[in-house]
Amino acid sequence: MKRAFALFISLTAYVCLLAGCWSQRELTDLAFVIAIGLDKTEEGEYLASLQVVNPGNVAGAVPRGGGAGGVPVSIYTSTGDSVSEASRKATEKVSRLLYYAHTNLVVVSEELAREGLDEVFDAMERHHQFRTTAKLVIARGHSAKEVLSVLTPIDKISARQIIQMLKFSELAWGETSNIDIWRTVRDIAVSQRNPVMTGVAIEGDPRKGKRQENVQSSVPDARIKLDGLALFKNDRLVRWVDGPTARGMMWVLERIQHTNLTVPWEGKKEAIGYRTTRSKTKVKAKIKNGRPSISIHIIAEGELSESRIPINLADTSLLFRLEKELERSAKEDVTKAIKAAQREKTDVFGFGAAVHRAAPRLWKKIEKEWHDRYFPELDVTVTTDMHIRRTRMWDKPY
Amino acid sequence: MLFQWGMRRQKKQMNDGVQQEGDDHSGEVADVPQEPMSAELAVNIDIIRRATGESDDVVIRRFSLGQEKQMKAAVVFVDGLVDEKNVYEFLLTPLLTASFPLALEEKERLQWIEQKLAAVGGVKHVADWKLLFCELFSGATVMMIDGTSFAICASTKGGQYRSIEEPQTQIAVRGPREGFTESLRTNTAMIRRRIKNPNLWLETMQIGTVTQTDVAIMYVKGIANDEIIEEVKKRLRRIDIDGVLESGYIEQLIEDQTFTPFPTTYHTERPDIVAANLLEGRVAIFVEGTPFVLVAPALFIQFFQAVEDYYARFDIATALRFLRVLIFFISLVAPAAYIAGTMFHQEMIPTLLVIAIAAQREAVPFPAFVEALIMEVTFEILREAGIRLPRAVGQAVSIVGALVIGQAAVEAGLVSSAMVIVVSITAIASFATPSFAIAISARLIRFALMFLAAMFGFYGIMMGLLVMTIHLCSLRSFGVPYMSPLAPFMPSNMGDTLFRLPTWMFRERPRLISQKNIVRQSGDQKPQQPTPSRQGKGDES
Repeated sequence: MKRAFALFISLTAYVCLLAGCWSQRELTDLAFVIAIGLDKTEEGEYLASLQVVNPGNVAGAVPRGGGAGGVPVSIYTSTGDSVSEASRKATEKVSRLLYYAHTNLVVVSEELAREGLDEVFDAMERHHQFRTTAKLVIARGHSAKEVLSVLTPIDKISARQIIQMLKFSELAWGETSNIDIWRTVRDIAVSQRNPVMTGVAIEGDPRKGKRQENVQSSVPDARIKLDGLALFKNDRLVRWVDGPTARGMMWVLERIQHTNLTVPWEGKKEAIGYRTTRSKTKVKAKIKNGRPSISIHIIAEGELSESRIPINLADTSLLFRLEKELERSAKEDVTKAIKAAQREKTDVFGFGAAVHRAAPRLWKKIEKEWHDRYFPELDVTVTTDMHIRRTRMWDKPY
Repeated sequence: MLFQWGMRRQKKQMNDGVQQEGDDHSGEVADVPQEPMSAELAVNIDIIRRATGESDDVVIRRFSLGQEKQMKAAVVFVDGLVDEKNVYEFLLTPLLTASFPLALEEKERLQWIEQKLAAVGGVKHVADWKLLFCELFSGATVMMIDGTSFAICASTKGGQYRSIEEPQTQIAVRGPREGFTESLRTNTAMIRRRIKNPNLWLETMQIGTVTQTDVAIMYVKGIANDEIIEEVKKRLRRIDIDGVLESGYIEQLIEDQTFTPFPTTYHTERPDIVAANLLEGRVAIFVEGTPFVLVAPALFIQFFQAVEDYYARFDIATALRFLRVLIFFISLVAPAAYIAGTMFHQEMIPTLLVIAIAAQREAVPFPAFVEALIMEVTFEILREAGIRLPRAVGQAVSIVGALVIGQAAVEAGLVSSAMVIVVSITAIASFATPSFAIAISARLIRFALMFLAAMFGFYGIMMGLLVMTIHLCSLRSFGVPYMSPLAPFMPSNMGDTLFRLPTWMFRERPRLISQKNIVRQSGDQKPQQPTPSRQGKGDES
């Protein structure tokens, strides 16, 4: 009885002691790495720039210990042959333990993206703290370090500023893409769809952007902005697309929620503005004589957002003609986007997956050559169906 | 370990008890004269005086009976315990003025007095000193006549008691305003007034070898489970203690499990709660001298049921029940969760929040656990001080307390404001629990969980809660599983647990408590719209 009791107690103790969350760390011992920037040095090493939060200087916190007025984030850089080496080495320069669980953003320089991101993805997926729900963006025109160094006015932490921009820009404008890293990695791994990533650029002088004065001006000297979509072929950046082409890409990917279309009317350019409220995209693959073809059908609902010419909006036949015009405009964007992707031989739309679903046997045969042979010559028919549901308050603009 | 230690102690005590038993009892009995009552009045009076140490408040009034003034007699009562008006008007006056027939035999004399003169309610013949003193100190007036070896005890209970006031605990916005008092009789009467039924049975016994405190158990015969009644009586009879000053003494001597932070008997100051519990088949234990009445068996869920739940409509009552369980949970784990979150699981806190907390903690010199412990202990000190201090000073304490655990501590950088919020919400939550008894257990467990959280993080908290749940399921209150009707699960009783179904759906009493008579109302009481009368229809067509 006594022995059984002792055994029970010791077993319970083992269970308790061995399975606990043993790595206790105080909040004040942690350096929260909120964003990672990755560049390639001239020697071919990785240059990791870690954006670390200075908690005391973030808005909302009680300023204490004389740190008031300091910058909300600091950048620590280090180099290494591998991503993890570069980021580990940074601990030489930081007084606290680097903590990656709250890393929400990874900025990769265009240069590195063109060389391939395989190693980067591997390091991220493997890291025990890093979350693959973070966002990945490509620094366009400047290095990742420079992008992360820019101080931003509204969201004090610039990483958060970029994340918020990604989120709301996709929602309201639809020329950029807001996707998690894990999704990108999955797209590459499954290989039927190549990733599309958003570019980030600096407007203004990046050297001035580092300074606190940058956020003390109503017109900052340097600003971060989202800039275009980067088309990838596997893990390599191959091309940038911008403006309507980028939006056309988002139409096909069914990621347009609200966007603004403008169409010319009676000779006037951009006469009518249209805001989508809901959209749906159907991608179907058909096989004819052993050759696949794709048909895309886009349905969108929306309302008139602007009319710069006096037309009678109570006239339904006019509205139907307007819808036709909108359909033409959207179709044009989509076709442009598809052309761009076909030229680069990268299936970023997941057409391959549609073919796979429609004809699994055929897919087995053509899978290897899909991107390079079949996709560029793929016959894609686009149909669009736009509906104007409302014209808002005015029937007859004056 | 703890249990073994407890057992050993118990054993030791039992041994001690055996050794001391002889002395103990003889010492106590020596106060009461062993010899039978004498036929001589003077001897009896002398015995009373000696036994009470000639205490001033024991009034002995000697007189001679009847107009002939030949029969010596005396009345004895305790000043302050009797209603003096009663004694003088209905006992002494008739005795002094009546013409006493001297021809009566010895035995018949007192009977004659009892029948003809004593104009009060309860009259008892007493021939035993022990009983006589018991009656005397319960407020009876004792009458003795020379030449008779027994006495008459007339019930003249009276004296000052606190009047019925609004209860201080378990306050309800809607519901009766009266609360129990220190008088057992008043308390039982309050229940009688609510349940006018001959089946409401009351049994009284004296507990406490020195204090001889009246303890009454009350139940509704036919609803209450006989086995439970027997069990309660058995446990009460087992009590051998010198004094009972509050129902807490009884509670601790009859509860099923001592080594648990959870209360296994319910106590209340509200007669409506007791009445409701009696109707559910529970047994109430009244103790003279305290307004707190015990109710057994008590279930875990009972401590979350406020009396107002049954007076309010079911929708809000149900919502409040959920809120209360949440409150209990918050008061249990809030500081522990803060510790675990900031010390182990920083990844679980949303980014902006973790940065905000980190910012506040920048200047705090202590680890989160120490910080939490300081704040919790400070709060407990303040609470204790607030209760104990005279009311006038109490306010000052609350002001100082607000400053200490509020602004000043934060500004001094000793604690973070997030910690103050956590401690405050915990404190408020612990006050919002409807039963103080369960709030106290949460208070203790909270500290245990804080230690676990500091050592093992959320894993520790989960382990702690798991052990707590297992422990809860192992508890019993007078043989009834403590967690019923949740475990064992009884669907038909679930209507009065987390949910409070509409009153017309309460068809059954708690099954495990009243085991045979479970149906409490008919099943077709759903309120109906008035059916349109036929006549009216006929007229229209």
